[in-house]
Amino acid sequence: MGEIETFESALQAFASTARVTSDADILRNYAVDGLLPLFVVTPTTTKQAAHVVALANQYGLSLLARGGGSRISVGNLPERIDVLLETNRLTHVLEHEAPDLTCHVEAGLTLAALQAKLAKKGQWLALDPADAAQSTVGGILASNASGPKRLRYGSARDLVIGLHVIQANGEVTRSGGRVVKNVAGYDLNKLYIGSLGTLGIIADANFKLHPLPIAERTLLLTFTNAGDSMQMVIALLGSLLVPSALELVDPAAASDMNDFFGVNLPTNRYTLAIDFEGATATIDRQVDETRQLARKYGVLMVDDLAGESQDHFWEAVREHTQGTVTCKVAILVSQVAIYLQIVEQVCHRHDLEAAVVAHAGNGILFVELRPSDATYRLVEAIAELRLHAKEARGSLVVERCPVDLKRRISVWGEPGSDFYLMQRLKNQFDPNGTFVKGRFVGGL
Amino acid sequence: MSITALTPTTSPLFERISESKKEEVVRDLSALLGAKYVLHTFYDLMLYEYDASIDRCTPDIVVLPASTEDVAAIVKIAVHHNIPVVPRGAGTGLSGGAIPIYGGIVIVFTRMNRILEVDYDNLRAVVQPGLVNLYLTNALNPQGFYYVPDPSSQRSCTIGGNVGENAGGPHTLIYGVTTNHVLGLEIVTSEGEIVQVGGLAQDTPGYDLTGLLIGSEGTLCIVTKIITRIVHLPEAVKTMVAVFDTMDDASNTVSEIIATGVIPAAIEMMDQMILQAVEADSHAGYPQDAAAVLLMETEGLREGVTEQVEQIVAICDKHHARAVRIAANEAERQLFWAGRKNAFGAVGRISPEFYVQDGVVPRTRLPYVLRRVGEICTSYGLRVGNVFHAGDGNLHPLILFDSQIPGEVERVRKAGHEILAVCAEVGGTITGEHGVGIEKQEEMALIFNEVDLQVMQQVRQAWNPHQLFNPGKLFPMPGRCADVKQL
Repeated sequence: MGEIETFESALQAFASTARVTSDADILRNYAVDGLLPLFVVTPTTTKQAAHVVALANQYGLSLLARGGGSRISVGNLPERIDVLLETNRLTHVLEHEAPDLTCHVEAGLTLAALQAKLAKKGQWLALDPADAAQSTVGGILASNASGPKRLRYGSARDLVIGLHVIQANGEVTRSGGRVVKNVAGYDLNKLYIGSLGTLGIIADANFKLHPLPIAERTLLLTFTNAGDSMQMVIALLGSLLVPSALELVDPAAASDMNDFFGVNLPTNRYTLAIDFEGATATIDRQVDETRQLARKYGVLMVDDLAGESQDHFWEAVREHTQGTVTCKVAILVSQVAIYLQIVEQVCHRHDLEAAVVAHAGNGILFVELRPSDATYRLVEAIAELRLHAKEARGSLVVERCPVDLKRRISVWGEPGSDFYLMQRLKNQFDPNGTFVKGRFVGGL
Repeated sequence: MSITALTPTTSPLFERISESKKEEVVRDLSALLGAKYVLHTFYDLMLYEYDASIDRCTPDIVVLPASTEDVAAIVKIAVHHNIPVVPRGAGTGLSGGAIPIYGGIVIVFTRMNRILEVDYDNLRAVVQPGLVNLYLTNALNPQGFYYVPDPSSQRSCTIGGNVGENAGGPHTLIYGVTTNHVLGLEIVTSEGEIVQVGGLAQDTPGYDLTGLLIGSEGTLCIVTKIITRIVHLPEAVKTMVAVFDTMDDASNTVSEIIATGVIPAAIEMMDQMILQAVEADSHAGYPQDAAAVLLMETEGLREGVTEQVEQIVAICDKHHARAVRIAANEAERQLFWAGRKNAFGAVGRISPEFYVQDGVVPRTRLPYVLRRVGEICTSYGLRVGNVFHAGDGNLHPLILFDSQIPGEVERVRKAGHEILAVCAEVGGTITGEHGVGIEKQEEMALIFNEVDLQVMQQVRQAWNPHQLFNPGKLFPMPGRCADVKQL
């Protein structure tokens, strides 16, 4: 028997509880950038999952973990996928220590299911990436997904306090713990978050939680141009006010959101959405002061959202970060307005269109480029935009794009001077190359 | 003998260097830095043999570089001669992180203490590692900004040291610790290469090396530049002191404050022993007959602060607070804080020596754990005081002792170990902000198993394969020379 067959029979040994499939029709649903795995294994316990990894390691197979699949195509093309380890049956909330404001959950639980559970005790995990219904905790952490409210609450690195991770040899290890402050040993949590499954597979996570805000309100400010709106953003960030999110929507993105989500934004202006949370008295005062400040920067119109229309608006913003070709640009806040002009110029030169939503207070832009099939023009435009992001002391990552385009670019860009240190870590953690190669920075 | 001494079972990682080799290395280093910045006489080195923990060991050479390039060149000289290198900030560390247990070269950052850049539009500062923590905040205050992490030693500790230990402080309860405020680093690797990790912008592609290196206690790299966040000063600050007749009432108050989601900027607890020591030292007006006092601070927008104060006072009342006093003005607020921040020093007045632990427990377990701490110390015939970050569940029991009394050090060691075992048993950790250093190497096994530790060793292997940087720390390591400091 060849290695694959031996592996398969070893897997079958515990197939009564974990689902193992090599049925071509089913496998098609699990393609990553068009590449099909040989097997999909869906364990129901961490122990089983760890066993699968150990077997893959033993037989020299290449393994990729998958949560809800919403961000599985992030990254460069995978080299080879033998085993796809589906985590979506690891869904236990192991603990919700509500009085301690912490919880411990398995990786396959969806964010929406977790939030529903936490909300019963008036708490939430302060992460708001797109697609909470499909995204799993493990997938969110592995891809370091975040949303508009990272302005106030930070990203996964600020909220994870402990992890259990399946190592390449199948051993399950602990990093961090269940308390909110911990400096014992290296902070490996940081290393696993955003490592796209190249160092280990997250089995469960401990989080720091927040109380649900008492109230929430969103102001929509309309400006003639990006410059005025970003002046407003900088003024707000340097003020006493504490918005939870500051999102800039450009005219093209506004028009998309109107068409696809039925919101009603002006389509020839820039919209700045400002979210406030907390006690009503503090929100009221911040709303008043924001209005006054906005006048200084030439605001044209102010709209006020609360309740369902507010939830719907933020849902639309989050979803808009996931176009067919979407670049995530991270630069300094002070560079955002200039960068938006550059996007316009570059697109004009290459006969492309752009629609941008930005976590303006974090300097993170999601630039959607169209048409998505203009591969050659896109290749050139992305190279130029990346160069400008670098000049602005930041980076550009192509988070979403068709396979055809992916073949011709590096979605991450050239690795930096610290890349050899990342390679050394990868070699230590995964010496046999058990975790799928090719997708992460520099092909890790 | 060290309080955490392990029986040497194998030969040490590094032998102390010979006099002739030392002369050679001093010559190389002097050619690089100038003789003035290379200390090597017994008298000069004495100052660098200890930190604020209870161990000590004399380095062979102390160097004071002026630039990143100097640091890189020093490391290359160390590599050439195979001599260990230990970075040192102000020596205020509490776990022995800066103690050169195999001698070698200690790099002191006194000359690399500048603020290189402050960018108010982008809320960033770029600083050198030798900058004193409080000096950054002082420089930002006139513009209305500050740097959040505020260890109690902030008047002397350096930001480089804070990064090495992932330092906390009373105000990290809502704002997070050092790692939540640092976005990028310039480092020198164990080969002497200069590398940038992270950056001014967020989400640098690749592994979060910045996050990994913060808190690595000088065992992975030497930090030569730090990019930090800066934050607007709050509009309003209210500081209050609540007085309790039992420890349980005080700790139940903390639990309920957190559980209701009213999270103040700081909740600090001091017990009777500490109150008496502090009062003798600072005259902050703390009652001396109380079982415990909570020092709490809430800050932010005026409206929010007023509301929070009301909620907190109500919770204190519910748990039988004898009195709640709100600081009437800034002077009184400073006085309250002076009592807290000088607490360790104040205890020095009533005991020749003390040993401070840094365990963290789930906040709901505070009443139980505090009782156990008391029982453990009583069983060893030791006095203990508690002054700590109650809001985070981060304990700081101070065990008083006198190393001149035969057997006392051993009893302190055992009590300390048992306290950390209790922290681990309730789901906590052995250190919340002081680091493992040489002090808690053994206790790592209370919370991590062999395999967990092995993964951490892999990380060290990737960055510092020959243990040139800060050897013999973090992991259980036999054979070292550290001594207990004689006060």
